[in-house]
Amino acid sequence: MKKYLGPLSKDNPILVQLLGICSALAVTAQLKPAVVMALSVTVVCAFSNFVISLIRNTIPPRIRIIVQLLIVSFLVIIVDQFLQAFVYDISKMLSVFVGLIITNCIIMGRLEAFALSHAPVPSFFDGIFNGLGYGLVLTVVAICRELLGSGTLWNYPIIPASFYEHGYMNNGLMILPPMALILVGVLIWMRNSKLKQVK
Amino acid sequence: MKNFSNKYIFLYITALVVIIAGLLSVVSIALKPRQMQNQEIEKAQQILQAAGYDQIAKEDALPLFSKIAAPLESSTQREMYTIQCADGTQGTVIFVDGKGLWGKIWGYVVLADDFNTIKGAVFSHKSETPGLGANITEKKFADSFIGKKIYDSNGKFVSIKILQKAKSGGGVEDANRVDAISGATITSNGVQEMLYKSIKEVEK
Repeated sequence: MKKYLGPLSKDNPILVQLLGICSALAVTAQLKPAVVMALSVTVVCAFSNFVISLIRNTIPPRIRIIVQLLIVSFLVIIVDQFLQAFVYDISKMLSVFVGLIITNCIIMGRLEAFALSHAPVPSFFDGIFNGLGYGLVLTVVAICRELLGSGTLWNYPIIPASFYEHGYMNNGLMILPPMALILVGVLIWMRNSKLKQVK
Repeated sequence: MKNFSNKYIFLYITALVVIIAGLLSVVSIALKPRQMQNQEIEKAQQILQAAGYDQIAKEDALPLFSKIAAPLESSTQREMYTIQCADGTQGTVIFVDGKGLWGKIWGYVVLADDFNTIKGAVFSHKSETPGLGANITEKKFADSFIGKKIYDSNGKFVSIKILQKAKSGGGVEDANRVDAISGATITSNGVQEMLYKSIKEVEK
């Protein structure tokens, strides 16, 4: 079990491997789309790992990237269709970024590094935990941005109205993409300085 | 590492593509009705918003819409409705569509019964730049159309011009213009073009 937990801390795909940054910046202005995005990536990562691992011995190495892309895009289209059917407003908010899960480096990275050389079930769990590691960072960033940028969490007002009457203002900068970059940078810095102490 | 023949590779990839395409079609057909319904609800919500109804819940949008709005026959194919606005007056909804910087933009304009004054508008886009062109969907931009007129004081059809804040002159009357979105010139021009062409089709 322990070997799967790496992605949550010391092997985090965003903070350590610096993969999947693009979508992490784009969808974290609010908590709800960030969580849906994290779940989508987790589902795609787990199932693509599983499927590729299942057929790994039949894949000709020369076309393995093409096969991986086929499987990943297949799963991403299914996720996209489900989002459009069941959570339409969020699917509109995520717009192009659901489609871009296909090119999310975390997924291709896990397929190459893990699924091609491991059995289906361990691969499935590897995918789940990498997705969760990605989701963890997205959630933390989204909480900071939505709370400070809009004063809400999951669209519920958190900051009481009396604060605003006394001159409190939402930080508009938080909603813009550059602030996500700065927050991710701060998280990386915090993680690195903690790692140094452990050493 | 095993050696795979070219024949194997071709057959393998062909079979994989056919299987995946088949599965995707099944999923797509199965989910189509729900997706269409979501789009219908969104459309009803948008039109209701343009007609002055605030915060209509998803479940209420379609029943309310079918109660107060009726499709309007027009000589052109343009989608139009008569609608009872939130303030009780009758309005005409005109579907407008055109292109922005990256893709399709569209919206609904509600005209008062004089077929001149705009009572409300709402805009959507497919892929305009977030934070710039995408801001046409914001209420602030849409509400700047309220009270504007599509004819000038001489009764000539001019539609609505979307100009930079500083450029108010040039013979364009204040009632015929709204402020453009800074940093989104092409999308703003797209909205202007869209309104002109679409309303021109149905104006008397």
